Amino acid sequence: MQFAYSEKGLSVEIFKADVVIVGGGGAGLRAAIAVAESDPKLKIALVSKVYPMRSHTVAAEGGAAGVKKPTDSFEYHFHDTVGGGDWLCEQDVVEYFVKQAPVELTQLEHWGCPWSRTEDGHVNVRAFGGMKIERTWFAADKSGFHILHTLFQTSIKYPSIKRFDEHFCVDLLEEDGRAQGAVVVEMGTGEFTMIEAKSVIIATGGAGRVFRESTLGGIVTGDGMALAYRHGVALRDMEFVQYHPTCMPITGLLFTEACRGEGGYLVNKDGYRYLQDYGLGPLNDKPKNKYMELGPRDRLSQAFYFEQQKGRTIEHPVLGSVVHLDLRHLGEAYLRERLPLIYEMAETFMGIDPAKEPIPVRPGVHYTMGGIKVDGNCESSLKGLYAIGECSSVGIHGANRLGSNSLTELLVFGKVAGVQAAANAKAQTPGNSASLLKQAQAVEQRVMALKTKKGGTERIATIRKEMVQSMEDGCGIYRMEDTMQATCDKLAELRERFKNISIDDQSSVWNTDWLTAIELDYQLDVAQTMAHSAINRKESRGAHQRLDGPDGAYKLRDDVNFLKHSEAYYVAGGAPRIALGDVKITTSQPAARVYGAAGEKADQERKASHV
Amino acid sequence: MSESQKVIEIEVLRYLPESDAAPHSEIYKVPFSDDMSVLQGAQYIKDNLDGSLTFRWSCRMAICGSCGMMINGIPKLSCETFLRDYYPNRISIEALANFPIEKDLVTDLSGFIEKLEAIQPYIIPKEPRTLEQGEYLQTPEQFNAYIQFTSCINCTLCYAACPQVGLNPDFIGPAAIALAHRYNMDSRDGGTAQRMELLASEDGVYNCSAVGYCSEVCPKHVDPGNAVNINKIEAAKDYFLRFLSPKGGSK
Amino acid sequence: MSKRKPYVRSMDGWWKKNPYYVEYMIHEGTALFVAAYAITLLVGLVRLGQGEAAWNGWLEALKSPLSLVCHVAFLVAIAYHAFTWFKLFPLTMPPIMVGGKRLEPGVVVGSGWTAAIVAALALLGLVWRIAA
Repeated sequence: MQFAYSEKGLSVEIFKADVVIVGGGGAGLRAAIAVAESDPKLKIALVSKVYPMRSHTVAAEGGAAGVKKPTDSFEYHFHDTVGGGDWLCEQDVVEYFVKQAPVELTQLEHWGCPWSRTEDGHVNVRAFGGMKIERTWFAADKSGFHILHTLFQTSIKYPSIKRFDEHFCVDLLEEDGRAQGAVVVEMGTGEFTMIEAKSVIIATGGAGRVFRESTLGGIVTGDGMALAYRHGVALRDMEFVQYHPTCMPITGLLFTEACRGEGGYLVNKDGYRYLQDYGLGPLNDKPKNKYMELGPRDRLSQAFYFEQQKGRTIEHPVLGSVVHLDLRHLGEAYLRERLPLIYEMAETFMGIDPAKEPIPVRPGVHYTMGGIKVDGNCESSLKGLYAIGECSSVGIHGANRLGSNSLTELLVFGKVAGVQAAANAKAQTPGNSASLLKQAQAVEQRVMALKTKKGGTERIATIRKEMVQSMEDGCGIYRMEDTMQATCDKLAELRERFKNISIDDQSSVWNTDWLTAIELDYQLDVAQTMAHSAINRKESRGAHQRLDGPDGAYKLRDDVNFLKHSEAYYVAGGAPRIALGDVKITTSQPAARVYGAAGEKADQERKASHV
Repeated sequence: MSESQKVIEIEVLRYLPESDAAPHSEIYKVPFSDDMSVLQGAQYIKDNLDGSLTFRWSCRMAICGSCGMMINGIPKLSCETFLRDYYPNRISIEALANFPIEKDLVTDLSGFIEKLEAIQPYIIPKEPRTLEQGEYLQTPEQFNAYIQFTSCINCTLCYAACPQVGLNPDFIGPAAIALAHRYNMDSRDGGTAQRMELLASEDGVYNCSAVGYCSEVCPKHVDPGNAVNINKIEAAKDYFLRFLSPKGGSK
Repeated sequence: MSKRKPYVRSMDGWWKKNPYYVEYMIHEGTALFVAAYAITLLVGLVRLGQGEAAWNGWLEALKSPLSLVCHVAFLVAIAYHAFTWFKLFPLTMPPIMVGGKRLEPGVVVGSGWTAAIVAALALLGLVWRIAA
């Protein structure tokens, strides 16, 4: 590495790479391997603010979707995904995705992922919400954990991957209209490194921590989204935030959808399987795909809301309003085999034996469907800048993601981005190091100023608490104009107050106080794109549900005006500008989004009309 | 937080490398409710009392492996250890033992990561297979032979529990050896001989004196101590095979 | 340039810091008694080789009060060593699979004890026979 000195005596180290990847979770690791395999001579810098195996991919439980059974087809997976996304998906991208899914999942098997097996030794698949056929590949209920560790361990094989573990990305480098690298802080020293690169891949994951109650780890702060956004790239469909219906109250920890895939019930205070009242019935003797508990997540979370309105949830003195996730009929042995993590979590965190008692659950924020707008090659509007995984919006989730599509997304598009970024790196000439260094030094001064400035009075934690509360109030499962407006106003206020923060820790080594402030800055940007995109969408679609409008008009889907993507653009010092973008439709025309018996009927009609 | 606000004292072994010559204790009074973990106690301190308190954390559900600490002298994941179980006594927290302290509760993990990398933790295919040929088959017996050893979350509690790691920081240690064993036991893998060189080396399995505390503290029941001890037998077999067969052993 | 200054804690007195380590040290310590008893027996063997008088002298020495006290100490220490040694079985032995399932640690330890008791009784019976 080289050192360069700026006037103020600060210094920036320089690392020259061909491809820099920001984010070392499932998507970032898959991309790194793809670059390494496409050309071992390309130098890869893999930046992660945690050791890669800590990344939040680790917490995914249920599994990864890919056609496996002979009774299944790419067409079925396509229709489940597009319908599940309430027709806000990029259909050409979904077509590619479903075809590549089994290939990538098999590749992971070759790399050692311990997928659960059938008795005859093949990879097993389980049922999942909104999926017509069992196609979710799983590794017990620790699928994300096993995927992440398999990828991390496999990445060690490639000497061209230079990891920057526990390095925090503070900005991207952009010159001549293309992305040319990143500026990172080594957390252990507080020192800055400029990583020059011809391609930049962002793979930093979601932003769900802008909400109060979420399933997510502390690191899920939307860093990469904010970085791209500030460089003029649109954040698309940010209003679509997924509430997972079965979370631990207060902490928000996740009880996987696989609980229901394996046959668990959701019941209200009367022990009644209330989902049959919300267009997901009728009840069957055996679990049936796309019926009842195997409906999509948005519908299940919305049903909870109405049960609560009707006073049919269980009012727990400490936990608040909950419903019961009942697994008792599955028996201890089966639960220990298929859902060992869930079993342990219920025991450790709640003191409940799920084989003997039902588990109290409620919805919690789980996933950001939207993200950095990219095309089918994962490239953004800024040349050389790619995005993959939860931070991106490549177009497969639409207005509501189906459980188990996102783990597959990491793999399929991680590889695409890696291959594309490698090709781009080979085609590009190196940038102008001297002027890039000037940029990096300016970034350093700006970021250092946040720490060293004097006289601030606001605590980071206070602003964060007000932000997450406001997001929950205004951008929850059901939304109304006035509360969304209040959230937009609150976020503008917090943006102002953020300028007046004070940081307790002034040191260099492991200054998480300072890094948390930078994260909060990112979070405020991302929260604003969510709230403003939401208030702008005057309809109900997927995870964005409104209860207002003239005569309640916004309660319905409005394909005339809003079969469009929302695109949020950065405006310095103000609220984002929201534009609407076209949706790519190939073979699936928007139709009523129905599940249960009505869904089956619609399926048959669709088939009949094709014949 | 609810009705009668209980307050617990948390004693933290703090170390600020830029101002301290050695670690010192500080005591914080933390109001808590029964559902609060030790991690949440530390977060309360950072958010409300002293923003400079430094610790790693993320998932809060005992799977990311970040938040290990010595809690009253025992290595534990702070996210799944609850304040209520210590109240009304004072609780003490300290960086995981046997690692250098970077700052407060943050340890230097670089040595551990190097050990993980050194044992070649990836499939070295026994019989290469193309993607078109589909997945490898694994019978339930083959699957059960390795699955337990895949559960390691790299939380390093086992290193904090192992006095031999403390006495010889170069010892590869329980988690890394368990990971090597995980791949050795996988029916898809053919890299056992390659990994044996390191396992049987001076920094390998024979550093272990079978204290067994590593397996005791493992939050995921990986039983790394068992992996280490099985490999003592394997290393011994490997050593003697060299004399018996011209091709035996790891080389 | 870097302000890192990792602090390495001392290992002095490490074994006193945790009851688990204390037990480990006692287990290791009792191995000395196993060695002491083995030496006692070896001395007997040597004395036997030196002739009848030497052998009888050794037998006499065994009957001294000091020797009896030592042997009681040997018995206690070796019993403890055996107890903790069997306890380590599940840690040190490869997993034993029966019907596709791993044998429970309790069963492994129990089998060790059973084998040890059977062997001890057989040996005792043999000696009894020879003596009779």
